[in-house]
Amino acid sequence: MGSRKSILFFLAVLLAVGWATLPGQASAREVVFLDLTDFTGPVAGLALPGSLGLEDYIKDINARGGVQGVKVRYIGVDTRYDVARMLSSFKRYRRDEAVLGINIVSTPFGKVLKEITAKEKLVITIPGDGEYQANVGNFFTWGPTYQDAFAAAMDWVVADWKKQGKSGKPVVGHLAWDSPYGREPLRGGKEHGEKIGVQFLNPEFFPSGTPKHDVYLSRLEAAGANYIYVACVDPAPTNVLRDAAAMGLNKKIQFITDYWGPTALGVGTHPEAVEGAVVVSFFLRGEEAKNHPINRRIWSTYQKDPPEKMNETYGMGIVWGMTFEAALKDAIQRVGADKLTREVLYESYQRLSGMKREGITGPCAYSPSSRRGSQEVKFYRCTKGKIVPITDWVKTPDAVSLHKW
Amino acid sequence: MWRPCGTFDETYQKDMAIVRTPLRWAVLLGALLVTGLLPVVVPYYFVSFLNNLAITVILVMGLQIVSGYCGQISFGQAAYMAVGAYSAAIFTQKLGLSFWVALPLSGIFTGLFGLVGGAPSLRIKGFYLAVATIAVHFVTMWLILHLEVTGRSHGLAVEPPTLAGFVFDTDERMFYIIMPTMLLMTYGARNLVRTKVGRAFVAIRDNDLAAQVMGINLFYYKLLAFFISCFYAGVAGCLWAHLTLVAHFEQFTLLHALWYIGMLIVGGMGSIPGVFFGVILIRILDELVMVVSPVLAAWFPWLGSAPAAGLGVTAFGLVLAFFLIWEPRGLAHRWEILKASLRLYPFAH
Repeated sequence: MGSRKSILFFLAVLLAVGWATLPGQASAREVVFLDLTDFTGPVAGLALPGSLGLEDYIKDINARGGVQGVKVRYIGVDTRYDVARMLSSFKRYRRDEAVLGINIVSTPFGKVLKEITAKEKLVITIPGDGEYQANVGNFFTWGPTYQDAFAAAMDWVVADWKKQGKSGKPVVGHLAWDSPYGREPLRGGKEHGEKIGVQFLNPEFFPSGTPKHDVYLSRLEAAGANYIYVACVDPAPTNVLRDAAAMGLNKKIQFITDYWGPTALGVGTHPEAVEGAVVVSFFLRGEEAKNHPINRRIWSTYQKDPPEKMNETYGMGIVWGMTFEAALKDAIQRVGADKLTREVLYESYQRLSGMKREGITGPCAYSPSSRRGSQEVKFYRCTKGKIVPITDWVKTPDAVSLHKW
Repeated sequence: MWRPCGTFDETYQKDMAIVRTPLRWAVLLGALLVTGLLPVVVPYYFVSFLNNLAITVILVMGLQIVSGYCGQISFGQAAYMAVGAYSAAIFTQKLGLSFWVALPLSGIFTGLFGLVGGAPSLRIKGFYLAVATIAVHFVTMWLILHLEVTGRSHGLAVEPPTLAGFVFDTDERMFYIIMPTMLLMTYGARNLVRTKVGRAFVAIRDNDLAAQVMGINLFYYKLLAFFISCFYAGVAGCLWAHLTLVAHFEQFTLLHALWYIGMLIVGGMGSIPGVFFGVILIRILDELVMVVSPVLAAWFPWLGSAPAAGLGVTAFGLVLAFFLIWEPRGLAHRWEILKASLRLYPFAH
């Protein structure tokens, strides 16, 4: 009989859980920003601090009384780089009208949601895939597209090559995760590079989780690479740089990483390994990020840790929050809090062109024809355990339009 | 099946029937009717959850046949599902076939593909076979990522199924494809395991040498188990691609394959109801984490939403460890005990 009771108890729990999993409704003066993000998995290194920044900024909005009196609720779901999980989470909130915006972190999520939400005017923010700029719809990238940043990096390469007084073409290798994200920079970025006189080697791709990268690095070195562009999510780029340093390649090849390259924490931990590497970023890095007054205030208020412990992607999360706040404010001013809909917010996102975000990132570039979060990047160099700026904000070329989509 | 007291089988047909009594027929038809009405009466989220559940049941049912019944441990199920999804996308989008033709075809194609993956089972078994199936996963993913026909890293977009002009483009509509398919395939699996083939699978699982000595052709039956298992995975993949409207390799990771094995362990190896128990428990647990995380974050603000939301993987690990230690035969075994105790009631079991 004991087992019968335990089974009945189990079934009762299942029923209770089933009832409990019915999605709740937000109150009338509250809207929801849904963060379908990877707190675990291969991109957690960027997603977790970014989401913390977003959540803390939303807390700050509410502490200031909300946006025109409308409170914002942050809902974070760990999607684990698992499309089934993301889809289930998305559908849980899909028809909750209080959910006005969604942030997603990984490329495969975008592939699925793009098809499913093609007819919906629901704002979805996503890292940097150029296809959302090529086919303007309801997806908004966080900053410049990956190919735009890659193109800006190629501009920097050519300038650096000339500055060193070298002749001929700089030879560039591309070393990235074997995924759509890893390939994305080349879709338009390569065309731009070739146009300005860069010679590209065959790109090298490796699966996420690869412990050693010597074989890929060796091939690029043997092919005569002068520069290697690394596209993967920290700690993977730090590991690539570590392997390159162990092979002595960092002395003869200039490494450049994309947005998700080493953060100040990684640089502080392995200063020798990443020494000299250049990071191209659409948000502030290193001491600039930690000393930024907004980042610092939000961090110390809600994380209650010294700023030294801040990961720079935290500031990027704050930017997501600022952008949502500005769009929400615009939407409320246009139609009033009682008539807020997803479509209204969708219109508002397209009206944010030129909006400043306290200098943590470049001015917003969203418009009816643009889905770029900004069009500026900054170059940093890892130097003696710090990430120091080597350029001011630089306007990125339009590499998306160079690719045949 | 639990046989009610006083019910006698007077013919061979009755003895073989899965549904034995008029009452059971009534219950079955009532259950089917209720199931059919679900998309109309329950919230959208539950319908989408049930779709997800049903596809996973089909997939894990296939795994149950090859691993639970035939004893061939496979970590390739996620890869086989990917093959099903991609083949369905190619059949419908590139070759212009109807979804209704592509559904069985993708199952057959995946089944044939699975024969290649199952071939090592003829020479190796146990842990070694498990490792070989992991290799199958990576090789399959590499092929998908590098072949032109699969759209390489960008995947393939899929149109929703249609029938006489009616488009199955919502979860509620897809429910009427997914749920009957799941029921049909469950019926197929239930019948399969009590046929000569099913008994041969069990014999191979329990002692392959003894089975061979008894005249069971190991080569044939092991490959047949892989074919059937992969057929199920292929059908699941086809349904998944048409539900998500895209086939993309990052939807099918090795982690998924681990989850499917975990579902089998929790539900119970070698049991058809065990598939349902395992899939339902793990999927509900997954959804529960989504509900509990914001509550935890509100109760313990120092946790923040992020660490609280990350409890999903931890919970899965704990549940798996719990079952491996305290109930390695899974929930299906508990279900059998419950049925036995009900049958003997009011006497103690």
